Amino acid sequence: MKTLLAKLRALVRRRNLEAEMMEEMRQHLERRTQEKIADGLSFDEARYAAQREFGGVAQLQEQCRDERSFISVEQFVRDVRYAARSLRKNPGFTITAVATVALCLGTNLTLFALIDSILLRPLPFPHAERLVTIFNTYPKAGVERDGASLTNYYERRGQIAAFSDLALFRAESATVGESGVTDRVDVARVSPDFFSTLGVALQLGRPFREEEATQQTQRVAILTDRCWRERFNADPQVIGRTLRVNEVAREIVGVLPADFRFLSSTAQLYLPLASDPQSRSPAARHSGNSIEMIARLRPGVTLADAQAEVDAHDASVAETYPQPKLISDAGFRSVVVPLQGDHVRAIRPMLLLLQAGALLLLLLSSINLVGLLLVRASGRAHEVAVRRALGAASRHIVTASVVETVLLAVVGAAGGVILAAFGVDVIRVLGGDRLPLGATIAFGARSAMVGCLSGTVLGLALGVPVAWFHVRPGLGGVLHSTARGGHENRATRRLRNGLVVAQIALAFGLLAGAGLLGLSLHRVMAVSPGFRPDHVLSGALTLPARTYDSRSRLLTFADRLADKILRRPGVTAVGIGTRLPFAGNNVKSAITVKGYVAPPGDSVRGVYTYGVTGDYFGAMGIPLLRGRVLTADDSRGNVRVCVVDEDFARRHWAKGDPLGQRLFDGSTERPDAEGFTIVGVVGAVKQAGLAETPTGAVYFPLRYRSDFNIFVVVRATTLPTTFGATLASIVRQLDPELPLSDLRTMDERITNSLVTRRSPALLASLFAVGALLLTALGTYGVVGYAVAQRRREIGVRLALGAEPRQIRDHFLAFSLRLLAAGVGLGLVAAWCIGRALQTLLFNVPTIHLGTITGSAAVLALASLLACWLPARRAAKVDPIVALRCE
Amino acid sequence: MTKIDLLQGTLDMLILRVLARGEMHGWGIADRLSHLSRNALKLGEGSVYPSLYRMEGKGWIKAEWAPSDNNRKAKYYSLTKAGRKQLETEQQNWDQLSTIIAEIMQKA
Repeated sequence: MKTLLAKLRALVRRRNLEAEMMEEMRQHLERRTQEKIADGLSFDEARYAAQREFGGVAQLQEQCRDERSFISVEQFVRDVRYAARSLRKNPGFTITAVATVALCLGTNLTLFALIDSILLRPLPFPHAERLVTIFNTYPKAGVERDGASLTNYYERRGQIAAFSDLALFRAESATVGESGVTDRVDVARVSPDFFSTLGVALQLGRPFREEEATQQTQRVAILTDRCWRERFNADPQVIGRTLRVNEVAREIVGVLPADFRFLSSTAQLYLPLASDPQSRSPAARHSGNSIEMIARLRPGVTLADAQAEVDAHDASVAETYPQPKLISDAGFRSVVVPLQGDHVRAIRPMLLLLQAGALLLLLLSSINLVGLLLVRASGRAHEVAVRRALGAASRHIVTASVVETVLLAVVGAAGGVILAAFGVDVIRVLGGDRLPLGATIAFGARSAMVGCLSGTVLGLALGVPVAWFHVRPGLGGVLHSTARGGHENRATRRLRNGLVVAQIALAFGLLAGAGLLGLSLHRVMAVSPGFRPDHVLSGALTLPARTYDSRSRLLTFADRLADKILRRPGVTAVGIGTRLPFAGNNVKSAITVKGYVAPPGDSVRGVYTYGVTGDYFGAMGIPLLRGRVLTADDSRGNVRVCVVDEDFARRHWAKGDPLGQRLFDGSTERPDAEGFTIVGVVGAVKQAGLAETPTGAVYFPLRYRSDFNIFVVVRATTLPTTFGATLASIVRQLDPELPLSDLRTMDERITNSLVTRRSPALLASLFAVGALLLTALGTYGVVGYAVAQRRREIGVRLALGAEPRQIRDHFLAFSLRLLAAGVGLGLVAAWCIGRALQTLLFNVPTIHLGTITGSAAVLALASLLACWLPARRAAKVDPIVALRCE
Repeated sequence: MTKIDLLQGTLDMLILRVLARGEMHGWGIADRLSHLSRNALKLGEGSVYPSLYRMEGKGWIKAEWAPSDNNRKAKYYSLTKAGRKQLETEQQNWDQLSTIIAEIMQKA
């Protein structure tokens, strides 16, 4: 090992060593010459004598080089040329091998580029590893994550020694632009210290000031570089100019640097997160409002330190909240986690598993290649044995084999790098840019380097068994046995059979894994969303607070909009709601049922709350189970009624009748006049995703739960593609300021929500198909080789009266034995893969009998087909020809 | 005086033995060998170098550039721990071998 290291080092420092060697020998000769001159010789005589005593300098130098490097350069060049020639002579093998390496490495590199972009590369901020996020969790209330509140921010700021900076961020959307040409764009509201927390300096202007957040009268904005270029043509004098946001002119005070992007945010504009004292008071401490809190740890402070300080701070202020018991019953805690890790937490296991799958495929294809290379090597065994008998050193034989495999793998790796560069685009098509940090996915220099390196390593690894095959003991045996046409030695045969068994096992594991993912996807898709998504179009509107300053204006607008849309031909129902399933907003709220006492150990549960008007239930296709639904009339009058879903009803009135019961919006019981009477029970609807566990939902008339962000839902008998434009123009007729955005059918929304399940399942199936093909190829190769090896024996048997059928069955039985061993081992692999996948699967057990049987059947079919051809060839051997050909 | 060939493989041992006395440069080793053998060995001075490079690669000796007596940088070789061990083994083998050969030559 040491010798190897020294030689590797020598390879790297080659030039250096060369110079040293020259210098050393030169010094030697010079010194000798001087001695001779001192003895009385002339300079020429002395030099000649010294050289004679020294010996041939060039030869000695060559010997030294040989001692210190793997191979001399010339030898290496000769080996490469020889390898290239022999690969060219065998194009079928070469193309197969290079293509296999290119495909498998390409797949791996594509996934690596993804992992590198999303998981490994730090966020583009200075000391990004010190950035953390802090969120509130109420696990016992079914609310895992509730962001942080304004109160949290104002109370914690400057109070927690572990943080050098603390800031807030909230993603929103706003209507931007002049009347008639408005767009709905993503914006972000941030606390003044947001940019300094990230360590980002503006390219123009200044960050927000404290008073711009605490007073709601300051109208300012900071542009992203993109917005600055698109809307202001990159005007260097932009500071002080104004931009209309939600119909209000805002003064531009700064421009962000070109490469600025906060996580996956698509915000084009940053506005101060302004608030009134009420929403910063202790009573508002647990109103998350989709705000994210970020902080920067002081140097040297650990996450645990920060967590301890936050816990202590939470405890110190807990009593100032009006209902401390409610909060502690809900299991409240503020959690401090690394910002990047938290942002990509959902995608991490999936990415790692896909990479593992790709690595398995690479392993499988390497095993396959080793099998092919060994078959090739046996074809050459005779030639190599002769070379060795004539005195070729083992070292040279090994080098020649390794040079060949490295050449193959490196050419393959180059192809893989090119494929991966395209593969990254394919990932985008598959929905990669919708992943967290997905927009940063790129095939970088690091991935290319990993590609080249792994190609070399793969080549070295592939060369080992071939080299072993050639230099293994028993040189005489090869010459002997090949001459007699007998069997190759048992060790190589076992190795080759073992390789096929390993391939079958791996392919089985991959097939079963892909089957589980597919089955899981199938089961998720079979889950009813709770509404009829066909023929439903939906879009989002943000109503500017200035125009829609009163609730009645908002209601009037909603009424007129629903009315106008309903008059279009083909439209059967129109509804308006403050939120929409599968539209990204999954915030839960607290609801208090009058007279309901939670069972011991249970607490208030977070539920989805909606404000609806028009025929929301009809448009969405949500079934009515009892009572009646809410209509536009409920928003016009002032009857305090509501509708709950079946999950909510079952949880609170397992036996009793929910109709007529009263509930309150919020976490406390209030005066009776503020309660709502339940008038109906509707079916449960999935909100965040099809795999979601039910949490319950309450629907209020829009009048009592309004929002400036509303969704329009339209059900029609047919949905022509132009219908979206029609809807947008209807909105513009009512209010030229209003852009209709996020126009999608409900089917589309559901499909999009499945992207993180569908793409992995699709990729895994591709891997499995690749594995299946490779395994079939491997089996074909090995059985075919066995047949070729035993032609003479088969000829003798046939000559002695064996039935061709017996010969064929013999080889079929041989491959069945391989298959059985492979599937046996594969069961273990499948179990491991099932275990690893468990957290990603929906309603699928680790070992699913159907998947296992199916995989086994597919694999058996493929490998039987693969050995049928050579087995038939064996049965057709002509004994005369077989015996004569030796 | 006819010079005699060195037995194959013994040069390494001789160099190790010479270096056991302390660090030395290439020509010093050659000097020492010819001096100790009273110039009776048929050995080109340069042949020490392939041997030195080989043993450096095996980790038996290590080389260092250091200023020499005439104030120029010269390459000095010295034994490593592994080299000392190797010398010991080779010495033992050699002793055994020479005894056996001597015995056979006398008694046969």
